[in-house]
Amino acid sequence: MSFRQRSPHGGGTSSSPQPPPRWSQGRKRGADGKRRKQNGTDSSVFDENEHRPSDNRLDSFTTPEGPGPLSRCSDWGTAVEEDEMRTSVNKEIARYRRKLLINEFSRERKSSSGSSDSKESTVMVELETDEVVLMRRQKQINYGKNTIAYDRYIKEVPRCHRIPGVHPRTPNKFKKYSRRSWDQQIKLWKVALHSWDPPTEEGCDLQEISPVDLGEMETESIGSNSTESQTSSQDNDDTYSGTPTKVRHVDYQAEGEFDLEACLSEPLKDFNTVS
Amino acid sequence: MGETGKEEYRIQSFDAETQQLLKTALKDPSSVDLEKVANIIVDQSLQDCVFSKEAGRICYTIIQAESKQVGQSVFRRSLLNRLQQEYKDREELRSRSLQAWICYVTFICNIFDYLRVNNMPMMALVNPVYDCLFRLAQPDSLRKEEEVDCLVLQLHRIGEQLERMNSQRMDELFSLLRDGFLLQEGLSSLSQLLLLEIIEFRAADWKMTDAAQKYYYSEVTD
Repeated sequence: MSFRQRSPHGGGTSSSPQPPPRWSQGRKRGADGKRRKQNGTDSSVFDENEHRPSDNRLDSFTTPEGPGPLSRCSDWGTAVEEDEMRTSVNKEIARYRRKLLINEFSRERKSSSGSSDSKESTVMVELETDEVVLMRRQKQINYGKNTIAYDRYIKEVPRCHRIPGVHPRTPNKFKKYSRRSWDQQIKLWKVALHSWDPPTEEGCDLQEISPVDLGEMETESIGSNSTESQTSSQDNDDTYSGTPTKVRHVDYQAEGEFDLEACLSEPLKDFNTVS
Repeated sequence: MGETGKEEYRIQSFDAETQQLLKTALKDPSSVDLEKVANIIVDQSLQDCVFSKEAGRICYTIIQAESKQVGQSVFRRSLLNRLQQEYKDREELRSRSLQAWICYVTFICNIFDYLRVNNMPMMALVNPVYDCLFRLAQPDSLRKEEEVDCLVLQLHRIGEQLERMNSQRMDELFSLLRDGFLLQEGLSSLSQLLLLEIIEFRAADWKMTDAAQKYYYSEVTD
């Protein structure tokens, strides 16, 4: 039996097998956003500059449209919230895939027995699986759903009674769309939901909510609106005048880039089609 | 809530006013200052080891209640961020009060045990929990029975889960424990016993074997 000299550095000595490369190797930035020194070993618990990130996930990521690596926040509260969203999104995509498969099978059976063709051509198309994209889309959807208008809508019109083209439908985040197309769909969807805004008092566009809630909400709205950056700047008028926010599910970090110019230059769809 | 509620959440140690606040937080979370409640709970768990052992339960209930009532997670966020604050200053905490440090480790491990996210443990806590356990496995901590006791207790409760989340660090931790058991000077015989037991426990895949039960936990019959 040999006793190895243990140093505080948990990386192991030459006699031990090489541990698998840590996730942090090759990462340009630590969890706090500061650039890491390009040494091989990871800091141990007792290093002076103890920057051990609090989780095993990538501490920074790049989006194609982004300016560069965006460092993830390192506070546990937000980290857990993002985790929660990610796991929810993953469950959803699994469920969606199953649904597509089932539709696929039932269609095949129908067509083989000679009955009519089904509605859409859902031959196995490529789905959106990029986590960053899915999370961003989910956040946008959450903003729309966290409204009194949406609440009233789903109470008034159960899904089975929805008429396509008439009743707004939540954009499908798993389908492949360009960034511009997706953002436009979200915008139109939110605008359509305004039809279910609660009746307002004379002249006042802001929805009436209990005083206590209003206080909390204003801080939240302002906070989240500024962090949502340009994504909602176009909706600003809408957001404040027409889309009252209930308490939000989570506070979000800043979104990635948003092509404001592109959206402004695109013609809006005809509002009349929205009832 | 009644007496069983009190016992279940171990809130007897709070003064009457605070108990009332906690009870309200459980039933009607949006009506209370949840950040304040989070701080109260953390403060108490740093002082009261009995409370910190099961504080996860009350936290879990408040989180569920808030989520159901208003779809928010103010309490969880405040709790976690406060926990993170204490984590950052844990070395100082330990030098200030060994007891508070032990309470803190007990608390964060209990939180890790109870608070799940979509049925998964909180990823964000895995490394911090490991860091705390590693600290407990350092020579100066191994010399203190209370710290060894805390260490093995946490490993009994959450070791298996923790290993599943990151087995490499668990291997490293147990290397330290083995070395500690074999080489560490100043280990009390109780500490040695505790360390040996946990080493065996993990080797048996985090299960209690009959032989170990007999050896470590049964009354000696002469």
